[in-house]
Amino acid sequence: MIRLEGVTIRIGRFALQDISLEIPAGGYGLVIGPTGSGKTTLLEAIAGHTALRAGRILLREREVSRAAPEERGIGFVYQHYHLFPHLSVAENIGYGIRGTSEEGSAKRVQELAEQLRLTTLLERGVLGLSGGEQQRVALARALAPRPTILLLDEPFAAVDPATRRSLRRELRDLHEREGITTLQVTHDFEDAMRLGDVVAVLADGRIVQSGSPESVFRFPSSVFVAEFIGTGTVLRGTVERSSEPDPATGRFAGVFRAASLELEVVAEREGNAYAVLRPADLLLSRGTAPGPAPRNRFTAVVTRLERESAVAHVYLDVRGTTLLATVMSSTAEELGLAPGQPIGVAIKATAIHLI
Amino acid sequence: MRTRPTVWSLTLWLLAALLVLFVAGPLLRLLLHSSPASLGAALRDRELVASISLTVIAASAATALSLVLGVPLAYVLARAQFRGRRIIEGIVELPVVVPHPVAGIALLLFLGRQSPLGTTLARLGLEVVNHVPGIIAGMLFVSAPLVVSAAREAFRSVDPKLERVARTLGDSGWSAFRRVTLPLAGRGVLAGAVLGWARSVSEFGSIVILTYNPKVASILIYDRFTLFGLPAAIPAAAVLLILALGVFLLVQLLAPERSRAR
Repeated sequence: MIRLEGVTIRIGRFALQDISLEIPAGGYGLVIGPTGSGKTTLLEAIAGHTALRAGRILLREREVSRAAPEERGIGFVYQHYHLFPHLSVAENIGYGIRGTSEEGSAKRVQELAEQLRLTTLLERGVLGLSGGEQQRVALARALAPRPTILLLDEPFAAVDPATRRSLRRELRDLHEREGITTLQVTHDFEDAMRLGDVVAVLADGRIVQSGSPESVFRFPSSVFVAEFIGTGTVLRGTVERSSEPDPATGRFAGVFRAASLELEVVAEREGNAYAVLRPADLLLSRGTAPGPAPRNRFTAVVTRLERESAVAHVYLDVRGTTLLATVMSSTAEELGLAPGQPIGVAIKATAIHLI
Repeated sequence: MRTRPTVWSLTLWLLAALLVLFVAGPLLRLLLHSSPASLGAALRDRELVASISLTVIAASAATALSLVLGVPLAYVLARAQFRGRRIIEGIVELPVVVPHPVAGIALLLFLGRQSPLGTTLARLGLEVVNHVPGIIAGMLFVSAPLVVSAAREAFRSVDPKLERVARTLGDSGWSAFRRVTLPLAGRGVLAGAVLGWARSVSEFGSIVILTYNPKVASILIYDRFTLFGLPAAIPAAAVLLILALGVFLLVQLLAPERSRAR
């Protein structure tokens, strides 16, 4: 278990303020935020490399706010691995193994090398290794002393996409197998969606939203979060009420107006608001959109099409307002999507998230 | 195909060659002026051998002291961020710009019998002025900045995150320093120590004021030159030069790869 209670750190002009976060034992937490938001500083504080100004850090239910790094029982993998350049791969992995015989240490190194596909590299120096290999050595080195907590600083930032995918898979397998409470910092929300049980969004030294990756993605609490994690199109406009509020929830049917676009929404308050339209919630069709009412229906023009392996991102123009939709590649083929082509768009009123 | 030399490139090469000649010329002349026979005679000269031995021992002691006191200081300067760090760095490097006889006089005032420290040391049985400790003090004063400076740069070249990783892997601060920092910075620290040792061997200005006798090699050479003229000084000077060249070669071999590649 990792628990941060009101952690405040000041380094020069930068400050991490009032950080509270809990990763349950065996859980996988992610802190996501842009460069300079304080992600690495937060990990270094948990590891004991940075002194706290206020607050408490608890690891495995024990307060460690003032404990030395070597007393905290954690494994730490830095973004650029920081392998010991004067040691071989095997020596790097075995560096932190203590309280066991030479034979026991060698066995643990061999075991991790097999798990992380490093057996052929054990006698090599670390300087000629590829990014992915270095990453796996750093991971094995951190895991070798059997820590119960693992801190990962942007572990996939310096590797190519294919290596990132395979490392992500290995990390998830390893986490499930070893049951280590893990906290990873990243700027990539895809890591959070694929790995995390808990995600916290950090901006300017503060946690601006936390929760399950799905809830943060679907219901961003601010424009910053919506734009940073790429939830979808964010439109600025006003909400007008068109029905009486539901006595139980206080929610009402209303109209959101943004420049040339008018959308039916379900809102909690009137006045200025931001509407977040998730790309997957925009349904594209030729002619009448399928599915049940109520729906916002309008015609747009395809301005750009970006294909990935399984999906296609479709940029739409609705009378001067740009929207982004995501469809399966096969759907894009069936609809014959191409720039300049008019297309029917539909979105449920309940799918529009208002901030 | 080679490009035709320009006036600019010719001027550049000419000026560079002049300075190289100015530095190498006198040293070569001194070496060539000494015949193997005269060098052999110099090595049989008991006073010269004793003087060189004293120089080597005192320089080694000064270097050891520089390392014991200078390495912790260099590490603190490389790693810690604190108010007044620049001032301390300036103080440590000050001896480089202080004329050496001035350093000798300052040390005489600080460590001499008239000073509280000198009196205390004398009471403890450690006579500094006109004794071997005076030689070591003069050598330490001029060589410590070189050792501290080289060690500080060597420590700065080691990423502090490597030490942090070692700490999370169970090392104490000392253990991380011993197992990670020192092996990586060791070559640079050693090169600084050898350079400091060489600087100590060549020191004259401060020692001549602190401890004229017993004579270190530089003072013996000066003494022979003033008393007996150039021919008497040349063999001793050549022996000291050969010693210095040996140390210079050692420094070149120990210098970190990166500095040599630049």
